[in-house]
Amino acid sequence: MSMTCNGFRGLAPTEFRPGPGVNVIRGGNAQGKTSLLEALLYLVTSKSHRTNSEADLMQYGQRGFQIRAAFQRNDREVRIEANWWDNAKRFKVNDVAQTRISDILGKVHLVFFSPEDVDLVRGSAAQRRRFLDMEISQIAPAYLHALQQYRQALRQRNELLRRPPVDPVQLDVWDAQLAAHGETVQAERDGFVNQLNTWAADVYSRIADGEPLRLRYRPDIRAGATFTDVLRNARGSDLRQGVTTRGPHRDEVEIEVAERDARRFGSQGQQRTAALALKFAELELIRARCDEYPLLLLDDVLSELDADRSQRMFGALNGAVQVILTTTDLTDHDGLYGADCTFFRIQEGRLDTD
Amino acid sequence: MLVDSPAVDRLVEAFRRLPGIGKRSAERLALHVLSAPADLAAGLSHAIEDARRRVKRCSVCRNLTEDDPCRVCADDRRDHRTICVVEAPAGAMAIERGGAYRGVYFVLHGVISPLEGVGPDELGIDALVKRVEEEGIEEVIVATNATVEGESTAMYLSRQLTPLGARVSRIAHGVPMGGGLEFADDVTLGHALQGRTTL
Ligand SMILES: [Zn+2]
Repeated sequence: MSMTCNGFRGLAPTEFRPGPGVNVIRGGNAQGKTSLLEALLYLVTSKSHRTNSEADLMQYGQRGFQIRAAFQRNDREVRIEANWWDNAKRFKVNDVAQTRISDILGKVHLVFFSPEDVDLVRGSAAQRRRFLDMEISQIAPAYLHALQQYRQALRQRNELLRRPPVDPVQLDVWDAQLAAHGETVQAERDGFVNQLNTWAADVYSRIADGEPLRLRYRPDIRAGATFTDVLRNARGSDLRQGVTTRGPHRDEVEIEVAERDARRFGSQGQQRTAALALKFAELELIRARCDEYPLLLLDDVLSELDADRSQRMFGALNGAVQVILTTTDLTDHDGLYGADCTFFRIQEGRLDTD
Repeated sequence: MLVDSPAVDRLVEAFRRLPGIGKRSAERLALHVLSAPADLAAGLSHAIEDARRRVKRCSVCRNLTEDDPCRVCADDRRDHRTICVVEAPAGAMAIERGGAYRGVYFVLHGVISPLEGVGPDELGIDALVKRVEEEGIEEVIVATNATVEGESTAMYLSRQLTPLGARVSRIAHGVPMGGGLEFADDVTLGHALQGRTTL
């Protein structure tokens, strides 16, 4: 993989050529470490984890930014180029302009972990659903379609509910749309969480020295129930509340560590490790579906883990994964990163090999 | 601001209300109309007003027409027991271009969409129900788009018309003829596979 970027955040015009295996980007706070990872994330997903506005990604005093990278995917090269100029977003894949930005999803796979991802474990059910939606969309285009259709049908049904008197036949037809797309959403989420559980449990117990982790998909409409029957039974309360109360938009993923709900009872360390295990599990899941490991970006992960867990985290990483890791720690005490790491240093937006 | 003139601003705004016209295109059109000879503007506004005055909705099928009933509804050689329901006049036009369809039409001018305040009343569905009840319609082919609104409208029509004894069918959505499978997007291909038929 190699990347160049121009005009992005506080980064100087940058060329970045990470080695295979683990790459360590060292630098103090606010020197541009996270921006470097963010540029890659934006290029591959057309989104940033920190903002929804491209204007925020632009360097002060610039009119746009450009990011380009070439990735090796199995035996092919995939080149992606992102251009933000005059408030317009343009993406090219192998020099071909992409008419729908969503088409770039899945061209190159990437897993990103930042300290805020502890909210996956600690935060609301909506955050876990957002995680499922983002990740499943990357590997299953049919999921993204079903999800978009489901959301649109949900908006329509809610609007109908808000305007009494409500025509029951119209409610029936929206119920049918919700069921058609909602069942696809549930089936994909169920399969994804089950697979994720297998790998996350393995990684977690390796990092947490044998402690067990378990993920369970808890669909709001339980397996075996008929989707449209559930909606029909809830119709009375839906009409009173003016909103659709049942369906995948109320799904939950339960995360247990040491057989207790990690969200309510987990320690900080358990919650952080569980969030990290989810991301590591995703690596395996993507490899199983796409036959290759995604790129792994770890933003400031070492400050989150104690020395033992950090050491075991590196042990749990498959050597075939290309990792880009940022840290404020400027020394390699105890040879933590292993022998075949590539080191970089970033200062005031300037990246150098170390 | 393009030119220091409220009249020009109003013209740009008027163009922007047209489908597919963004701010830039609206400004370009406005500038063109203003810099071209005056008869372009006069001809344009006359053509718009004249067409708008002459063209109305057919009282039978709601398609746009100068004569009421429209050419299709007035044609005895067509099969008046088969009605194809389309979202917009463009849909009927596309099917007419195909040349294979011999039935008549019903134009909804929209789809059921609570978010846009559009329900069965706005789409004239009561008139369609009345036609099916009174004219011995055998088949209603629903050719709304494959969006959630299009599907919901299709199902709503089926719920209203099937009890009246009409056969309600839905057009298939799938891979375009002559297009190789490799050119169909994943979602379309998925639909085409779901809607497969036995040979
Ligand atoms: Zn007519």
